[in-house]
Amino acid sequence: MNRNLPLYLILPSLLLALFVISYPLYELINLSLSDVNRFGKVRGYIGLENFTYIFEDPLFIDAALRTVVWTVAVVGGTILFSIPIAVILNTEFHGRGIARTILMLPWAISLPMTAIVWRWSLNGEFGMLNASLMNVGLIDSPIVWLAQSATAFPVQIGLGILVSIPFTITIFLGGLSSIPLDLYEAAKMDGANAWQQFKRITYPLLRPFINMAIVLNVIYVFNSFPIIWVLTQGGPNNETDILVTYLYKQAFSFGHIGQASAVSIAMFTVLLIFTIFYARMVMKNEK
Amino acid sequence: MKYLSTSLKSIATGVSLAVLGTTLSLSAQAAEEVRFTVAYYSAKTGPYYEALAEKFEQSNPDIDIKIEVVNWDVLNQKLTTDISSDVNADMAIIGTRWLVDYVKEDVAEPLDGLISKDLKERFVPAFLNPGTLNGKVYGLPVAASARAMYYNKDLMQKAGANVPTTWDELADSAAKISKIDKSYGFGLQGKEVETDVYFYYGMWSEGGSLLKKDGSSNLASSASVANAKRLQSMIDNGLTQPGVTSYNREDVQNLFKQGRVGMMITAPFLVNQIKEEAPELNYGIAPIPSGASSATYGVTDSIVLFKNSKHKKAAVKFMDFMFTTEQRAAFSSGEGFLPVLKSVSKLPEFAQNDAVKTFVNLLPQARFAPTIAGWSEVADITSNAVQAIYGGADAQSTLAKAEKRVNRVLGK
Amino acid sequence: MLTKMNKKTKRSIFCWLALSPIICVIVFPFAVMFFTSVKPRQEVFSFPPTWLPSQFVWQNYIDMWQATKFSDALINSLYVSFSATFITLLVAIPAAYALARYHFAAKSSYRLFLLITQMLSPIVLVIGLFRLIVWLGLIDSVNSLVLIYAGFNIAFAIWMLQNYFHTIPKDLEESAWMEGASFLQGLTKVFLPMAIPAIAVTAMFTFINSWNEFVLALTVLRTEENYTLPIQVYSLVGGRYTIEWHHVMAAALVASLPAAILFSWLQKKLVTGLSSGAVK
Repeated sequence: MNRNLPLYLILPSLLLALFVISYPLYELINLSLSDVNRFGKVRGYIGLENFTYIFEDPLFIDAALRTVVWTVAVVGGTILFSIPIAVILNTEFHGRGIARTILMLPWAISLPMTAIVWRWSLNGEFGMLNASLMNVGLIDSPIVWLAQSATAFPVQIGLGILVSIPFTITIFLGGLSSIPLDLYEAAKMDGANAWQQFKRITYPLLRPFINMAIVLNVIYVFNSFPIIWVLTQGGPNNETDILVTYLYKQAFSFGHIGQASAVSIAMFTVLLIFTIFYARMVMKNEK
Repeated sequence: MKYLSTSLKSIATGVSLAVLGTTLSLSAQAAEEVRFTVAYYSAKTGPYYEALAEKFEQSNPDIDIKIEVVNWDVLNQKLTTDISSDVNADMAIIGTRWLVDYVKEDVAEPLDGLISKDLKERFVPAFLNPGTLNGKVYGLPVAASARAMYYNKDLMQKAGANVPTTWDELADSAAKISKIDKSYGFGLQGKEVETDVYFYYGMWSEGGSLLKKDGSSNLASSASVANAKRLQSMIDNGLTQPGVTSYNREDVQNLFKQGRVGMMITAPFLVNQIKEEAPELNYGIAPIPSGASSATYGVTDSIVLFKNSKHKKAAVKFMDFMFTTEQRAAFSSGEGFLPVLKSVSKLPEFAQNDAVKTFVNLLPQARFAPTIAGWSEVADITSNAVQAIYGGADAQSTLAKAEKRVNRVLGK
Repeated sequence: MLTKMNKKTKRSIFCWLALSPIICVIVFPFAVMFFTSVKPRQEVFSFPPTWLPSQFVWQNYIDMWQATKFSDALINSLYVSFSATFITLLVAIPAAYALARYHFAAKSSYRLFLLITQMLSPIVLVIGLFRLIVWLGLIDSVNSLVLIYAGFNIAFAIWMLQNYFHTIPKDLEESAWMEGASFLQGLTKVFLPMAIPAIAVTAMFTFINSWNEFVLALTVLRTEENYTLPIQVYSLVGGRYTIEWHHVMAAALVASLPAAILFSWLQKKLVTGLSSGAVK
């Protein structure tokens, strides 16, 4: 057997990934350390000036803190909702196939389209959400959902959760189906009720899948752009800005390519630290 | 290293081409190709320019005009990224307020030496001015508009309100109209492009200005604060539609077209939209209410020629064809903009049109966005401050904070 | 027998009840899309809004199809998604096989590299990616999207595939080799047929990701005839003076159908494909 065979096998994927990711990353690092005009022309090396500029910008700090809230809330909410849903979908009942397909549906529409449809539904005058809520009697007068961050941001978090659920329950369903049924039988013999069964069997065995779902979702949600952009563009008064929308405005609305690249690098660093930290923690726990 | 990079590039391109199985057309064009990036105004824009290009090509078979239509919200982004990578079109329509950035970074070509004196003299001077920087013409006005107040005659009558000429009268009429079920007195824009401008109308009429004499921001002037407080109290008293900060210009226009809003301030193109979408609407157009002074906002979009274009002569030839009476008349009436050519404004279709006349009469008091680098960021800061105020924040301190931020951008 | 049936029916009622809130929220936007898309134009802005139109205007779909040049965008989206999926699988399958079957020096560092690529999203890299595409001379070309989507999907595809490959017994292809089959024969005749479910699921992920991608397509594509579906639909909303909501909703609904059908069809396989994910 050729010793280099595995290397040949991974080579094509390595080359493609390197090509598509490393070069842009290299460009970004360069730009983040340079004085760049809005047309991308590099005027010279300026060290960490772009970084100090963004770290002194209160809007950047606000956006960074809000990104933490956004990520924790969306990922936390997603996990919290997905576990019971997955447990239900894992039990046998009439129409389970249909239920599973329905729960996958949010995945089928692309995020910008989901956001567009919701923007229309949330419209204070013509939106169906107010009309429906008023029909059911939950509210008396229409709420203009996107007019203030106090309602807009929670709505965006809710949408973030909604679109993350399909992927997450898919992972959990995979995990649940790998738990041997005789464990439950044995627990039942011992007189364990449903909650005890969940606590003693389901949850511990699902743990690795939950970890995986957290890591992947944190990465997706942290980088997620369309929901907030389409619904509010970070407004009103920058009160729903997160790092990606801040980045996008710096780069494309204001032409601050250098600062925007610095934001990119800062975001990348945060994710890197998170992933390493989390990987360590999980490994320690498993030992 | 250079060699390595080029050979890497050729390998990479070769591989990707082989893998993708595509054929790039590298064949030399017989005709000279001029690429023209066009801003999307309405569904008519693309077909109009395609037809224009075709007509031009008939008499100029050696030139091939390629039209690329781009939506406004991504236009500046696409142009700047394209320019940064040297793949931009030869000429483009841009918002004239962006022009100063293009000139400052030396990507726009001054047109004085290229265009004929005759072409320059065809334009209405007020519209050619904004595209002129440091005494040189960089942008030819391709679309021009001003802002005026639209009002719903039926609602006015039903409420027993008068067409206001001052902001106090406006609040008065708005109060009366708001009493009608499902109707709002004054449509106030609070989101996206021109949110800041909607704030300026009242500020200007109080005698305020965007900049102080030394070029620093004048956003926290007493006129500005007074205007902010007035708008705040209108919102508090229910004289506007609820949730103003979720309404962009189009949303407010929609309410107006539905006959749900008594008054709003916007551009001439709403006339065309109403004609098509709400022909029954009984409305009128009046000047923006005034106070210590009266003002409207003037906007032009310009055609610029890029410095790196290799087809400048052909591009200018096309411009010359574009700015002739027949072609421009078709554009202005199709899209609902004001005529930019003197000859077009004399045509009966425009000279005897009441709506057009109202707007044209406002032009002498029109103020244009100042030609300052980074204006889009200043507008964004202002819009955010305005949103905070509409949401109930303290006017004085919010405007003062915004003024400081603006001055940081302006380097003052 | 009867009690057993009753038990299941009871459980079914409970399950559907428990799921009903989330199902309402999921179905809601689809209902909005559908009912808005069949309204006569002047009813879209009726106040107060109603679910049902006065009449169902199916013509909206035909108008939308023509007004938005939907078929061009559909073909572009299909081309991009299929090509990206194909290339991803082409490079990911051998890599996943190597990671699942062999121990080699660079293995853990390659895994780390993949994890890092997984962390990056196009939006974070968008400035650099644009320069890369320009360097390749592929601006305004859907092929640039194919290349980049493939690059971004590699990490996830390899990760999924190798987890599944682990569960396929090694002896199968080894015994084929013992019997004199060549390396390639052993793989294509014995191993790959076993791996088809995993490959199908991976393909679906890649396909959906490419089908839905937005930011890059928005940055790279210039002319309408090259637009993919998300861009085409978005362009009906962004920066326009009038938005034809009934067309937008019709387009969004039709654009979501292929993925929705794919999901209901592959829904079972999807779970089994991911279930092997725990195996490290």
